[in-house]
Amino acid sequence: MKNPPLQQSIDQQSSQAVVLDDPNLSEVVVTLDNVSFGYSYKKLILKDLNLTIRQGEILTLLGPSGCGKSTLLNLIAGFYKPLSGLITHGDEVIKAPANKRGVVFQGNALFDWMTVEQNIGFGFRFQKLPKTESRFRVRQIIDLVGLAGSEKKYPYQLSGGMRQRVAVARSMVVHPEVLLMDEPFAAVDVQTREGLQEELLKLHDQVSGAILFVTHSIEEAVFLSDRIIVLDRDCRGIFEEIKVHLPSPRWSAMNRISEEFNQYRTQLYLKLKELG
Amino acid sequence: MLLKTAWRSARPKGRVQDLQSQALREKLTILGVSILIPLAILVAWELTTRLGWVDPLFLPSLSEIVAEFWAMVTKGYAGTSLLSHIFISLQRVYIAFFVGTVIGLLLGLLMGYYKYIRAAFYLVTEVLRPIPPLAFITLFILWFGIGEVSKVMIILYAGALIVMLNTMAGVQACPKEKILAAYTLGANDLAVFLYVILPAALPSIFTGMRVALSVDFGILVAAELLAGDQGLGYLIHDASTFFNVEALFVGIFLIGFFGLLSDVVLRVLSNRVVHWQGH
Repeated sequence: MKNPPLQQSIDQQSSQAVVLDDPNLSEVVVTLDNVSFGYSYKKLILKDLNLTIRQGEILTLLGPSGCGKSTLLNLIAGFYKPLSGLITHGDEVIKAPANKRGVVFQGNALFDWMTVEQNIGFGFRFQKLPKTESRFRVRQIIDLVGLAGSEKKYPYQLSGGMRQRVAVARSMVVHPEVLLMDEPFAAVDVQTREGLQEELLKLHDQVSGAILFVTHSIEEAVFLSDRIIVLDRDCRGIFEEIKVHLPSPRWSAMNRISEEFNQYRTQLYLKLKELG
Repeated sequence: MLLKTAWRSARPKGRVQDLQSQALREKLTILGVSILIPLAILVAWELTTRLGWVDPLFLPSLSEIVAEFWAMVTKGYAGTSLLSHIFISLQRVYIAFFVGTVIGLLLGLLMGYYKYIRAAFYLVTEVLRPIPPLAFITLFILWFGIGEVSKVMIILYAGALIVMLNTMAGVQACPKEKILAAYTLGANDLAVFLYVILPAALPSIFTGMRVALSVDFGILVAAELLAGDQGLGYLIHDASTFFNVEALFVGIFLIGFFGLLSDVVLRVLSNRVVHWQGH
């Protein structure tokens, strides 16, 4: 068979991209099936929770302090095991951390004794990948997150925002199927934070893969997410689920001041107010 | 201090100076003070003793001490050359320090990493910790004889305990996020230990080593005071017995000198290895 004309193949690709854009139609990556967790059965933090993370989506967890957002993220990472229920990634049950599930913490997770380059390349030490390929990918992501020129620096020589860039790049460079981010930008100032959010969206565009994002900030949630889940207090589960549709490119700063953005924000604000 | 400098330079006082020259001047002043004051003390010492304000039996003059030192260099002390006294002392302390550090490091890593090993040795270390190592000295002589072994063993014990406790603390203090991040990047237990926990513990390990080395010098002198016929501690002991105060001071200065020298070497090494904290 002859190759299809160029225009047609582009059309096919773009129509595919549209399909992937809709989280409802893309493939499920992680499934939580009736998951309960707590340090004892009497004091549960999560109870009978059902949740799916779909391929390529950015899903944000919002909710009052202590509602179990971070616990949920740690469970998916494989740091804890659920008391009951099943957490699956693809067709395997999550039992321990694995490099197809990256994690970005709030801070303090960089290896202070390694340079920026070594930090970012750390994950490749445990992969059978040609040196040239891993070097190329490290190089590429360093340029993408604006760390060029700082390759040989150590974390103590970087600002807080730069350190988080390294942390994000280190997790992203190994192309995890899901990236779990636990309030990764909470400790940096507002201007830096907005820059980091925009870079994250650009990175996500390049390195496909789902992101589960935990935050306290409504604005951050709206700006980043395809889907926002508000968790209820006292392990009552999911309180609200909102799908976010904002014009592309999503990283455009204009989105922050658009009418739609405001509507989402108001909606979420009222929902969180209901929870008290 | 930087803040103070900046504040001062912000208000012009006569001649306006930029921050850099201000900081340079401050550095030079610090350097000058740190050299001039000790020098002044030495001069005062020499003057007061020369002028006969202090009984030379309590405090001999510096020049007399230097003369005694020179006599020791040329003729030796108590039938042994000064170099031999120095050499045997340093040999004792360095062998004990080295072996003690290796043992302390291994035990500390194991105790820091495995909670069951930590639990097994918890009571033992907690009981041993507050006991001054010198309390064991006669016991060690009883067990290992009056020769080299007992001296090295007591120094070794004292240093190993300190290195062990610091190593353990360093391992336990490794931030959880770093360990978990390494696991999520595909590292196994061994890799996490080698690439994350061990380097994270290094600053603490070096602190322990430096404390251990200074303690080791103290134990060395005490052990040599008690038994033996060679070494700087013996020299001090012998000089005191014969009221040779000049020789006593020579011994004291030599210990101070080699203690300081060893610490400087260790500090340079530590700053080289643990370079990522910024100094």
